[in-house]
Amino acid sequence: MIYRVSHTTRYRYSAPVDQCVSLAHLLPRNTSFQRCNSAVINVDPAPVVGTQRYDYFGNSTYHFTVQAQHTVLEVTAQSDVEVTGQRQSLALDFGATCADVRALLPDVSVAENVRAREFLLNSPMVRRDTRLAEYAAPSFQEDRPFFSCVRDLTTRIFADFTYDPRFTEVATPLETVLEHRRGVCQDFAHLAIGCLRSLGFPARYISGYLETTPPPGTEKLTGADASHAWFSAYSPTEGWADFDPTNNLMALEQHITTAWGRDYTDVTPLKGSVLGGGDGHSLDVAVNVERLP
Amino acid sequence: MPRQRQTSIPDEVATAFNEAYGADGDAREHWRYLLGSVAELGVEEFNQRRLTLERILRDDGATYNDYSHGLVAQPWAMDPIPLLIDSREWNDIESGIRERAELLDLVLRDLYGARSLLHEGVIPPELIFSHPGFLRECQDLRLSGEQQLILYAADMVRLPDGNVVIMSDRAQTPSGSGYALENRMAMSRVFPSLFRDSHVHRLSLYFHSLRLTINALNPNGGAARVAVLTPGAYNETYFEHLYLANHLGYQLVQGSDLTVRDGYLWLKTLDGLTRIDVLLRRVDDAWCDPVELRNDSRLGVPGLLEVMRLGNVAVVNPPGSGILENRGLARYLPAAARHFLGRDLRLPSVATFWCGDADDRQYVLDNLPTLVVKTTHRDQTFRTRPGATLSAAELSALRADILADPQQYVAQAHLQPSVSPVWEGGKITALPSVLRGFAVAGESSYTVMPGGLTRVGSQPGVFEITNRLGSLSKDTWVLASEPERRSAPEDTPVARTDAQAGTDAQLPSRVVENLFWFGRYSERAEAALRLLRTVFTKLHEEDGMQAQTRGLLLRAVTHLTVTYPGFLDEKVLARRAEDELLSVVLDAKRDGSVVFSLRAMLESSNRVQDYMSSDAQRILNDLSDGLGKLPGRLRGGFNAAPEEELGRLVTHLLALSGLAQESMVRGQGWLFMDVGRRIERALQSISVMRSLWVPVVPGSDAALVMETALLSAEVLMTYRRRYQGAFSTASGLDLLLLEPTNPRALIYQLERLNEHLSDLPARPGERLTPEKRLLLEAMSSVQLADLAALANAGDGEYLRADLDQLLARVQRLVSETAGRLAERYFDHTSGPQPMWPPHKEDSE
Repeated sequence: MIYRVSHTTRYRYSAPVDQCVSLAHLLPRNTSFQRCNSAVINVDPAPVVGTQRYDYFGNSTYHFTVQAQHTVLEVTAQSDVEVTGQRQSLALDFGATCADVRALLPDVSVAENVRAREFLLNSPMVRRDTRLAEYAAPSFQEDRPFFSCVRDLTTRIFADFTYDPRFTEVATPLETVLEHRRGVCQDFAHLAIGCLRSLGFPARYISGYLETTPPPGTEKLTGADASHAWFSAYSPTEGWADFDPTNNLMALEQHITTAWGRDYTDVTPLKGSVLGGGDGHSLDVAVNVERLP
Repeated sequence: MPRQRQTSIPDEVATAFNEAYGADGDAREHWRYLLGSVAELGVEEFNQRRLTLERILRDDGATYNDYSHGLVAQPWAMDPIPLLIDSREWNDIESGIRERAELLDLVLRDLYGARSLLHEGVIPPELIFSHPGFLRECQDLRLSGEQQLILYAADMVRLPDGNVVIMSDRAQTPSGSGYALENRMAMSRVFPSLFRDSHVHRLSLYFHSLRLTINALNPNGGAARVAVLTPGAYNETYFEHLYLANHLGYQLVQGSDLTVRDGYLWLKTLDGLTRIDVLLRRVDDAWCDPVELRNDSRLGVPGLLEVMRLGNVAVVNPPGSGILENRGLARYLPAAARHFLGRDLRLPSVATFWCGDADDRQYVLDNLPTLVVKTTHRDQTFRTRPGATLSAAELSALRADILADPQQYVAQAHLQPSVSPVWEGGKITALPSVLRGFAVAGESSYTVMPGGLTRVGSQPGVFEITNRLGSLSKDTWVLASEPERRSAPEDTPVARTDAQAGTDAQLPSRVVENLFWFGRYSERAEAALRLLRTVFTKLHEEDGMQAQTRGLLLRAVTHLTVTYPGFLDEKVLARRAEDELLSVVLDAKRDGSVVFSLRAMLESSNRVQDYMSSDAQRILNDLSDGLGKLPGRLRGGFNAAPEEELGRLVTHLLALSGLAQESMVRGQGWLFMDVGRRIERALQSISVMRSLWVPVVPGSDAALVMETALLSAEVLMTYRRRYQGAFSTASGLDLLLLEPTNPRALIYQLERLNEHLSDLPARPGERLTPEKRLLLEAMSSVQLADLAALANAGDGEYLRADLDQLLARVQRLVSETAGRLAERYFDHTSGPQPMWPPHKEDSE
């Protein structure tokens, strides 16, 4: 499956900005199951310096500096991504059990184990917590295949929590989400990650896109899509597998990965620092995911 | 925060290693000469020298800003007895520090590179991944050349068995080398012959290597333009930033002085942007760049990390090096040494246990009372916990903390540092000491400073010394077995002379702005002091003064100091004048009071300390002292003759302005300072004339009011000589308004301002700047004045309306000139603000 993803972010400031130094995680990375065939990022006004590199986690990162005075900044990323469906064959009822995962993880001779252990620890937005462990516990049995347990957790989050975009903001703490059982995809991803880490299993945050299909009989609206988030869990024998608690899915052919990290803070789509800009600004985001023939 | 429980364990002194005396009570060989000399000098003389030492440190402005007692600059405290180390022993310490720096450099490169230490099981990954000092953003920051750890410092203590161990490592922005240098300078001046005859190793080698290394790191070729990045005047060790910048000849800058443009780092100056090639930072890792690191930082420069990646600036030490300050690393350094070097370390670390390791954790929990618990990160909120001082309840709380998040905790063996002789009053006592050693990279290894910064605890037990730099310090003398050949000249920091202060053509905009305000506030304070002094005298002397005249004089004070409502309030006017006058002098919270203006002046000078000469610094110190004593001295009101106290302050201010006139090179710094002075003096003299000469004073008090104005402008004598005692408003105006040779006349200020404006950098092709246009208008208004008409009020009028109109107009023009100047030359960019994350990822 080949997708064309375009993602436009428009800032409007209440006063002129003299300089904007920024860092974007907007271009999809390559993974074992997807290849980014082309990726272009456009900034208006044009930046004087713009450089693409790979960050600590191997994500594609774009740095740019705009020196022209502006009150509107528009950043558009467009990429063609080929997603393959290998993960569909993942049989959840086989493979390492929870006990196996715990037993194998300390072995540092497996390089990925060392990297995965980074995703066991507290991160800026996800802290291990006994309440998270208690919530997750019913899904995990030591002798049951680990991914089957994770799938169960995903289903429970989907069932127990209400999708509510008005309830949370970027900085809403996990405790609040857990207490009120409401949130959006970012919260549910953080929640699942917190649950896994609290039980001693590595989990990381994935940001990306989901192809949406319009209701039958209606035409799909351009720009109506949004960026999405889910999580990935690690087993020393099977590697990483992605789960989407917002939609109660394994992340398969319709999930396009942009970047991963310990949590949202590692992969913020756009962050930076501006000189000027006044006190207020408004922000519009338009995302479009379309299938290429 | 609760105060650290004081623990003195008397036995410790007895068992601690004594640096100066052996077990038999005899002085150790290498201490004999020094201790003999101290005895020879005698108590009296030695106390004198100690006072001299104190004075030198104070004159140099040596301070340590201590926040534990509110925001106060503590004088840098120094003991006159140095710590002595003989050269044989120093060899071991030196090679131990060098080896450790080499190892830590390898560790740093590995942790931000291949991470073989983690993959090969040398260091548990969690120790690194859980540490806030591990900055993933710094993964690919590379200085040119192999070494990445450029500056390193280690705190060492000597244990009762005589062995030296390393207690902690400093690798982000190691502080203390500047204080060590200042200590050395002061000691060699106070004890010149003792110093010379003791054959002390010189510190110059270290600073020489530092300069070479910094220069070699320049990524842009040519002579490196280097800046020292300080968090600002309120940082604990600001004095040292200043001192090092001066000593090394680098510019001292703050984050807001710098900007990133076109992929390079620049210093914003009056003349435009100047590129910076190497940044020696004293801002901690996390604060260096709000784009990638802490987005609330105002101390760093947005985009700095990316400029480093582009290879266009070198930042020393590179951000991310704080991971080496992870206290748990010490536990694994021996293994890392075997991994990288194939051998054990010469200088061991203090025995350390990391609670992230199951066995270590069990040991720590079982032995808590004999250990000292710390966090792996140097976290301000967690105080080091010596188990021995904790109650049973505190111990179990600590146990619970450790179990809740074991990876965050380390425990170290309780240390008993050696004691060294300390001069206390008239006798020598023995107190525990810690030595901080310094190393700088270069030539594929490290140069270790021969000596270091010794700090002394106020009582037995090491905890009090380790936390802060601001305790009592000592110079550290490494004694050469034979006199050193003087291959290099003694490393004397060039005293800042008046000729040098402020000459740098490329002043940051922040600096000129502060100098401008320094000029304005000092003039504002002086004008207020002069008028207050005169009014105090007049009120005191003249018993028969009419109520109307008294009101006029007092209101003049309110107008001049802008401390409304003040005497404009009838109720205040009806009361004893003294209370309100004293408040106008002393109330630091009152904008316009003398103390307020002087404080503001001192604050401006603090922010640009590096542009103040040492002579100016001395006067500022005296002024600051005088300010502290002022409330006490003025407590007696009129009986205490306040005019004399105020006069004393005027004298200090005159000394400052005299120094500026006579000894400062006419660079941009001086120019802006003088522009500030002239603007303020013009405005103040207008204020006095408007309050005292615009109202028509009937009868005999007219002369008194006239005299007050002339006296406060210091021209009464001139006036008497010139006009032989006959008081007339026209002749007074002539002297204060139009006399071009009177340095206090209004026209004199305007003419100087006009000259200064011509010397300021202008845009190409710009002939008449808006500020100059305003000023010319002010000048011609004054020059065209018809004195006789101005002095005439018209029959039956209470006010001289023409005079008032003219003065009001000039006042407005001068104020506008000041506004335009500020607009053009000062930096108006508000600090950077974070760009908000666009949105929450919220699709369903």
